Amino acid sequence: MIWVSWRQHRSQAVACLGVLAALAVYAILLGTSMRTAFGQDGLITCLARSQGTGCRAPIHAFTDRFGSEVNVAFWSVLLILPGLIGVLVGGPLIARELEYGTWRLAWSQTVSRARWLTVKLGLVTGGLVVFGAAMTALITWYRAPMDRLTGHFLPNVYDFEGLVLTAYILCAFGFAVLAGLLLRRTIPAMVAAFIPWLAIRLVVEFVLRPHFQAPLTFNQVCPQNGSCFGGEGLGIIPPVTGHIGDWVLGSGSGQLANQSGNTYLYQPADRFWTFQFIEAGLFVLLTAAALGATIWLLHRRAA
Amino acid sequence: MTQNDAGGSAPALRTDRLGRRYGHVWGLRDCTLEVPAGAVVGLVGPNGAGKTTLLEMIIGLLQPTEGQLSVFGETSQAPMAARLARVGYVAQDHPLYRDFSVADMFHLGRAMNPSWDQQLALARMDALGIPLKRKVKSLSGGQRAQVSLTMALAKRAPLLVLDEPVSSLDPVARLEFMGEVMAAAAGTGLTVLIASHVVSELERLCDWLIVLTGGHVQLAGPADDLTDAHQLLTVPRATPDAELPGLVIHRTDSDRHSTVLVRADPAGLAAQERPGWQADPVGFEQLVMAYLQRPSKAAARDDTAQAAARPGPATKAVTR
Repeated sequence: MIWVSWRQHRSQAVACLGVLAALAVYAILLGTSMRTAFGQDGLITCLARSQGTGCRAPIHAFTDRFGSEVNVAFWSVLLILPGLIGVLVGGPLIARELEYGTWRLAWSQTVSRARWLTVKLGLVTGGLVVFGAAMTALITWYRAPMDRLTGHFLPNVYDFEGLVLTAYILCAFGFAVLAGLLLRRTIPAMVAAFIPWLAIRLVVEFVLRPHFQAPLTFNQVCPQNGSCFGGEGLGIIPPVTGHIGDWVLGSGSGQLANQSGNTYLYQPADRFWTFQFIEAGLFVLLTAAALGATIWLLHRRAA
Repeated sequence: MTQNDAGGSAPALRTDRLGRRYGHVWGLRDCTLEVPAGAVVGLVGPNGAGKTTLLEMIIGLLQPTEGQLSVFGETSQAPMAARLARVGYVAQDHPLYRDFSVADMFHLGRAMNPSWDQQLALARMDALGIPLKRKVKSLSGGQRAQVSLTMALAKRAPLLVLDEPVSSLDPVARLEFMGEVMAAAAGTGLTVLIASHVVSELERLCDWLIVLTGGHVQLAGPADDLTDAHQLLTVPRATPDAELPGLVIHRTDSDRHSTVLVRADPAGLAAQERPGWQADPVGFEQLVMAYLQRPSKAAARDDTAQAAARPGPATKAVTR
């Protein structure tokens, strides 16, 4: 069964390696020049002294130079990539057998359908985990200098580092396998899996993620005569809290007594891994539900 | 036809009131059969008669809705792998992986079947002149059928099930394919079950016959016994069915005479025969065609009459 699974999925494995290789070329080229620039600009010593307040100019120079890959277009392409990989691998797994009638061949050998499916799912899932981990490692490595300035909570950083990238791929894969069994055709199964995957992905990112844990509040005291340094979001280095990587969600409602100033809600930078575990856990749970349903349905229904 | 299960003499196939329902429609119902080991069985019926339903239940691709099924003593409750090991299956349209080479297909066979006979597979490809390196998609329809058959044979299962194996093939490929099946069955004790609506192909091959229409078994038994049990009568046209001996299966009226196929043993017929009647033996194809043309409602009436003594709901023939 291991050989059979490999033979049927090897072209997908090769395609995944191609994606990795392309990404590696890009990452090594960009990562190396980023590292060089980071060392030359004296950013390391500056960051060691303060959270970057003392060296705005070189920070801006650096982010201007390398910020293009932080931009929205890049992010949107990478946003759908895990989903595309997941559905491309998962869609045909059962649907192609049903489409071409080869299920009659596959399931009439001396291997029960349940074993056929669990071995295939096990191996392909394992392959995707390795692929996801490799992709995460590459992105994390090349972005490391930039991450020291921005922290890890920016969507285009958070979504590709840690655990969530692999979990996104697995989730799309699980959805596509299940859709393939239900719809019995590969392309519709891919589409039917991708749309809910993207919807869940965006809802989690923009609605749920800021509230994985109760945000902390930060009271900013403004000087009497000077203007108050402010701003929400993640683009400002350092953010209003003064710590790189803190994720400022927005102004709070609290009013400071006898002083002019603002209250901000934020997620501290050190919650990155907690958030990663929560979000990856959510997507792995969805994957398990989809694959569990597939195994159960295939066992129960006859064809 | 009764055999006991002891000492490995279990029938190749035994079904008891086997039925499969698709939603509200019965694809097959009330199917009771017993096929001895070593028989070459022709399963005949029009499209939608329930042939594939029966075959898929035998293989284990479908679970029965009701009734019992056993293949060489393994019931449908036995572990899947044990059941699968008993049956080699050539599915309709000979599904193979298009981007696999013939060698890859055999590798798959070896990986998925503990009893795989690689020698047999290679020898057959050599004899047929099919190169192992060829991709499945570049093979002709006939060659694909031969690869499918080889995969089923190399599994070394005691029962070989073929679902419409030649319907998609040209006449030459048909002949070659059936020749290979004959050769494989001869002398090996292999039990073969061939579903087909190409009746002429089956006549040369089969010593056992099952006719299925509208989800019901019309006729089942050794081919010779079945032809012996039927007579073709030529009688004056005015003769009503009630005066004819046995059960009228099919009647063709011409200007002066009627040709009637009846189910009646020759002895009983001789006793009832009247002047002006002529009785002839029935051929295999004639017999099959008569049953295929029989309205399934008539068959259902007979079944109901026969089933009156048995518990359970009255049967109703529905075409899938």
